[in-house]
Amino acid sequence: MASAQPSMRQFSACLRCVRPLSQSNGPLHASAARLLSTTAAPREEVQTQVTAAPAAPPPATASGKDFMKRWGKLNPELVESKRDERRLIRREGTQPVGSRRRRAALRRTEIRGTVSIPFEQLPYQCFQEARKFLLEDRKEKIKQIEVQSARLKNIITQDAAVSGGKQAKEVRIQSMKAHINELVILADINDPIVKKKFEDRLGDMNKPIYRYLANEKWRKYKRLVLEQRISQFSLVPDLLPAFDPIADVDLGFGRRDIAPGEFVDSCVSEQMPRLNVQTFEAGEKLVTVVVVDADVPDPKNDNFTFRCHFVASNIKISPTETSIPLIRIGQDDAKATDPTTKRIAVPWLSPWANKGAPYHRLAIFVLEQSEAKPLDISKVAQTQRNVFSLRGFVDRHHLKPIGASLFRTQWDESMPGVLKRAGLSDQINVEFKRTRIEPLPYKRRTERMR
Amino acid sequence: MNLSIFRPTSRHLTPSTFRTPTLLRQNARPTISKPTTTTPAPRAPFSATTFLQKRKTKNLTDPRITAIRYHLTHPLTPRPLRFSRTRYLRHWTIHRAWLLFLRKQRWTQERALERQYMSMRAACEALRLLDDKGNTVSEAEAGGFGADAGSLGARGREVGRLYRSAMSKKKVWGSVPVEYARAQVDFPSREGWNHAWMR
Repeated sequence: MASAQPSMRQFSACLRCVRPLSQSNGPLHASAARLLSTTAAPREEVQTQVTAAPAAPPPATASGKDFMKRWGKLNPELVESKRDERRLIRREGTQPVGSRRRRAALRRTEIRGTVSIPFEQLPYQCFQEARKFLLEDRKEKIKQIEVQSARLKNIITQDAAVSGGKQAKEVRIQSMKAHINELVILADINDPIVKKKFEDRLGDMNKPIYRYLANEKWRKYKRLVLEQRISQFSLVPDLLPAFDPIADVDLGFGRRDIAPGEFVDSCVSEQMPRLNVQTFEAGEKLVTVVVVDADVPDPKNDNFTFRCHFVASNIKISPTETSIPLIRIGQDDAKATDPTTKRIAVPWLSPWANKGAPYHRLAIFVLEQSEAKPLDISKVAQTQRNVFSLRGFVDRHHLKPIGASLFRTQWDESMPGVLKRAGLSDQINVEFKRTRIEPLPYKRRTERMR
Repeated sequence: MNLSIFRPTSRHLTPSTFRTPTLLRQNARPTISKPTTTTPAPRAPFSATTFLQKRKTKNLTDPRITAIRYHLTHPLTPRPLRFSRTRYLRHWTIHRAWLLFLRKQRWTQERALERQYMSMRAACEALRLLDDKGNTVSEAEAGGFGADAGSLGARGREVGRLYRSAMSKKKVWGSVPVEYARAQVDFPSREGWNHAWMR
């Protein structure tokens, strides 16, 4: 048996040479099932395609629709060869789904008719042993959670004098809750299915494990970038005394996503942005969104001031409801008859910059309203646009900044039109120039100066 | 066990009664099943000599050259693990289980050490408070502990005799006092040498 192997291998090598000639049925050939199993197979595939392509040329006499019908069924999920992909795009006008590799794998499983085994039941001994061990650990963790929550219940009902004073009781309850939360995470963190679902973005953000994983991922890259931009553009000392972002904010105008700090054309930013705020804490929150221009030139005082471009309050977000479509909120407000139900307090003023002035930083802050209480819109609407102080605004309405993003604006070709539409035609012809620094009067070098 | 070296060069072979493992048998030349007659075959169409003896022809490359070639063509870093999705997930699962196993093992070892230490400590404390009658005395009557384990309490030498002898470090290292044993560190201590120290 063993001695027969080398000769078999040679035989298959010969077959490889012969196959392209004998194969005329297209790629649906049983031997092509080795595509994913060996390295030699992809080369085979290329060969078959080259030779198989002229096998079904579109007959010149047939009308366009007729020869297209002869191509048969083309499934965008399973189309595998380049030719079939081309045909699919030509006839159906749809793009194939996913990578060719993935489609090929799906097709192979379909051809073989094998019942795909669920991932957890894959028959690998070490894997199954590992799963058993992890499941045991999970059971332990769940038992611990039950014990701890029973203890927590007892402590909550306990008299404060027994547990060593009111403050000590509070601290104990807090720490026990934190411990239970940690256990909840630890129970699920080793589950490969959880990992897979999270990577596929199918995780349920109502569950703590997925929120935890999302938070970790955010903190690993996006939050670092945001922190860097906030410090580089000095938003923190300029607009707020301190800021610790705990929510992921995605900014975009229309279909375009904006990375924090990017320059945005004035015609693009004429419309309200679209925000996506992902919180990693359970429960609903009411937030206020504020857009501030941090670089409004003030030539009288030779200084810069702030301007408020937009305020919207009482916007509900939760880990699963992340989108803040400001444009739609604006449309709802326009329809609303009751002024208290409106959510936009200060309407959008398109960001603008004068010619010759340095770029403007436009910061977008998402501020959490305390205890999810709705704010009185009429009071918020009294906010002054010019000489706006975000610190004062935050203090006045008891808000807590949870997320931020920013973009930049400068003078561009579309700015005159934007200014005209915003009713700021007087600003179109204003141009800032650097003041000339007069040189010191000439002085003859004397002996003393040398 | 490769038996081919023990075989004669000629083709007078009987089927071996030894059962060699399959892996080794692959390398050995296939033996013919029937024993041939006594008349030598005129000339075999293929060589029936055993593998090792065939190698006597000097076409071997120098092993040093082989090694040099190997190291020239192979980079120092091994290629990264490239897995399919499910293969990677299985790998990850096993890895996590292994880490968890190690952590649990470490935890149990630490707890065992802690338990041992605490029981030793409790035994020493019981000895310290033990007088010569076998009664437990109060803290004021007992001697010191820790750094001044040798100091006596209000009742003098009759309390904690066993404790003091257990704490004495005499003859642990022969004649060298055990206090000289210190951890080897990069720099000497601030004091350098404690000249006032007496046993």
